[in-house]
This record gives sequence, C-alpha cells and structure tokens, in this order.
Amino acid sequence: MKYILLMSGTRAGVAGYHAWSKHDIDAHMAVLHRINQDLTASGEFVATQGLADPGEAKVVRGEKNGMPVTDGIFPESKEFLLGYWIVDVANAERAYAIAAQICTAPGPGGKPTNMPIEVRQFATHASKSQ
Amino acid sequence: MKYILMMNTMKAGHGVPAWPKKDLQAHIAFMMGLNKELHQRGELVSAEGLSFPDQAKLVRAGKDGRPITDGVFPESKEFLAGFWIVDVDSPERAYAIAAQISAAPGPGGAPLNMPIELRPVMSAPPQEML
Repeated sequence: MKYILLMSGTRAGVAGYHAWSKHDIDAHMAVLHRINQDLTASGEFVATQGLADPGEAKVVRGEKNGMPVTDGIFPESKEFLLGYWIVDVANAERAYAIAAQICTAPGPGGKPTNMPIEVRQFATHASKSQ
Repeated sequence: MKYILMMNTMKAGHGVPAWPKKDLQAHIAFMMGLNKELHQRGELVSAEGLSFPDQAKLVRAGKDGRPITDGVFPESKEFLAGFWIVDVDSPERAYAIAAQISAAPGPGGAPLNMPIELRPVMSAPPQEML
C-alpha cells in the first residue's frame, strides 16, 4: 500500500528554519538522510522531495481561452507543503511509524521538531502512475 | 526544471462528488488524456490521486517515539486531492499545464476552474545543508 507523508508549515515557520544554526541544520538533515537510507534498505522507499521556498509558489487557474492566470500572493497563515515522502508499506501502522520517525528529527538545540506529518493513502482505484 | 502541481480541495468532505456518471467519466477521461499527453511529451514525472480525507491521519511522535495519530480535521482545512510532478523547460510551460488541469470538465461539462498550486521542486537539499 502506498502512502504519502506530507510535511507542511507556514511561511513564518520557513523563515524560522532559515535562522537555525548550521550545526542544527546539519543534525536535522543527517537524521532525514538516515531515514531515507533505512527506507531504501527495507524496500519501502518510493520517493522524497523537498519543495522550493513558498515565495516561489503560484496558484494557477485556466481562463476561458485556456491561458494560465497566475497568482502569487498568499496569506501568511496559509500552510505550505515543505516536502514529502512516498512509501510502499505493508500496513497503515508502518506508515504512521515512519511519520513518527520524521516527526522526531532534531531541530534547534537537538530537540525534536515535533512537526505534524499528514499521512494519506494513494487512491488505488485511479492511480495514474506511468 | 521540476514543478509539482497540487490540486487542493477546500473541505474535509469525502467520497466521489455527487455528479452524474457521464460527467465523472468525462472528467476522468480528460485527466487520463492529459497524463497521456504529458507522458508522450516526456514531461510527466508522476501523477497520483490521494484517497479521501476521511482516511487522512496527522501523526506526531510521542515521548517514546511511537506514533500518535489524529484523524479529526477542521472542516476548513485544505486537503491535497492529487498532484502531478512535471519536468518542463520553463515556468510558463508549467503554468500552461496547470491551466489545462484547472479547466478539467465538471458537472455539465463546464470547466471546474480549480486553483492549482504550483511549486518548484528542489532537485536535492542545498549543498550547504549536507
């Protein structure tokens, strides 16, 4: 069963992250890197990506003539996707356990970030993977 | 350059929309046609639909590192319904694809005009964070 683990945050949260010390960022990235290695070793890893800064986000709609209309202004309170992991696991509990691991990645001073991770199963009836 | 196009639904509702079957079929046929076209152009990295929000969980780690799941979300929360990752030559091409998705047919064949959030995907963590 495939699940996507979504890590979201606000623009203020992203600004806070940029203020972390290099040491704290290194420790954080090392844990995330090790989680990816563990998932690869267990055969559960499908994909992971970090997204670029919310400042580069656009919301797009199609006009009547099919031309894109872009809008780049978002309220400060909006939650933005920061990154995700796609895992292929035996059951939901395993997906929750991985999300909990990600949640405990260290933040400033080595304390767990305690970031909430949204866990969503892929729609099995209409998967459009090529 | 890689972009993720995210289709969000505004409400924590669940289930297939109560559209006439013909309209749902036209919507799905449109999406499948678009994915096929993106695949043929070599621009499609992946496209997935997610299961309905009633199956979503928010996970945090407890003190012992075990997952604590929470399945209750406010009605107002935006949910990711599905996403496309595309690899395109320019932001404008990504906007054009998002506009196509935005104009997918809804009830009665009228374009849905859904907002599509578009974000650049980072190819790797910044070098200074490794």
